[in-house]
Amino acid sequence: MKKIIMISAVIMTMISGTAFADTIKVSVNGLVCAFCASGIEKTFKKISAVSNIDVDLEKKLVTIITKPSEKLDDKTVTKLITDAGYQVTNIARIK
Amino acid sequence: MGVYYYIHMGYKALYLKLAVLALLLSASIAEAKPISYVDGIMVMQENDETGHTISVDYTITPNYAVGWYDKWEENGKLYSEHGPEFNSLIKRWNLPDGQANIFNSTGAGVALDGSKTRGAAWTDFMADYETRRIFTSYEIRALYADSIESSVSQRARIGIAPYEANYNDIATWFMLQVDDHPSKNDVFVVTPLVRFFYKTALLEAGYSSNNRLMLNCELQF
Repeated sequence: MKKIIMISAVIMTMISGTAFADTIKVSVNGLVCAFCASGIEKTFKKISAVSNIDVDLEKKLVTIITKPSEKLDDKTVTKLITDAGYQVTNIARIK
Repeated sequence: MGVYYYIHMGYKALYLKLAVLALLLSASIAEAKPISYVDGIMVMQENDETGHTISVDYTITPNYAVGWYDKWEENGKLYSEHGPEFNSLIKRWNLPDGQANIFNSTGAGVALDGSKTRGAAWTDFMADYETRRIFTSYEIRALYADSIESSVSQRARIGIAPYEANYNDIATWFMLQVDDHPSKNDVFVVTPLVRFFYKTALLEAGYSSNNRLMLNCELQF
């Protein structure tokens, strides 16, 4: 019984830790060169709400994962990508 | 000391002329290269048949950067130019499968030729278009340094990537650079080169038709 309670507690902790992290998928125009696009990674890594970022030149996609319980609104995402020199065409969020 | 010496020798008119020229250039154009990302610092070091260049630029906004430029010229007159630069992105087209840009870089400072020091001003326009497989660029540069130099030069590049590198790959480009610089000893020079980059580091190596090695590198911080 003790074992079941402990396992449940661990699972609950894991679920609650990840439940509020957002995955933001941003479609970007002009994303052709990794040397230039590294500005996007550097810009987002400075933001405290961001846990991880991935740039995919093939899919023209920037994937941002926020920290649990942290938020990053569309306006901020668009501004940061525009400041890095690119154009946002779509933002999709996965909870 | 040099500045005061030349002012006392009657160079006030020259500095006035340079100030007017710089103002005209920056007013008629608007902007320059290199531009990276806001708060980004870019360091470039180039060694080619035209000489040796070092520049450091800080990007203030998505369209503007400021920096410092030093160049030691070769292949003809041996002189150097040094000074601050103002860089602008005049226009960018972010396309689904490519990007095109027009940049301007305008600077003013001094040119040194042995014991001679003169005021200098330069401006450079560059247009480029690239996809993940094709690169093209054209650049025209004007330099005025009173009795040391007054010239216009141009450069064009085409490049092909043998594979489409993704973000975490090392990218490879094969390029051909053509230089037309009438003030140099070798006016028309062709340089085949290879470009590699990985994220924030870029390296180029080539060998020119006038038998000079090219070695360029760029780092972003």
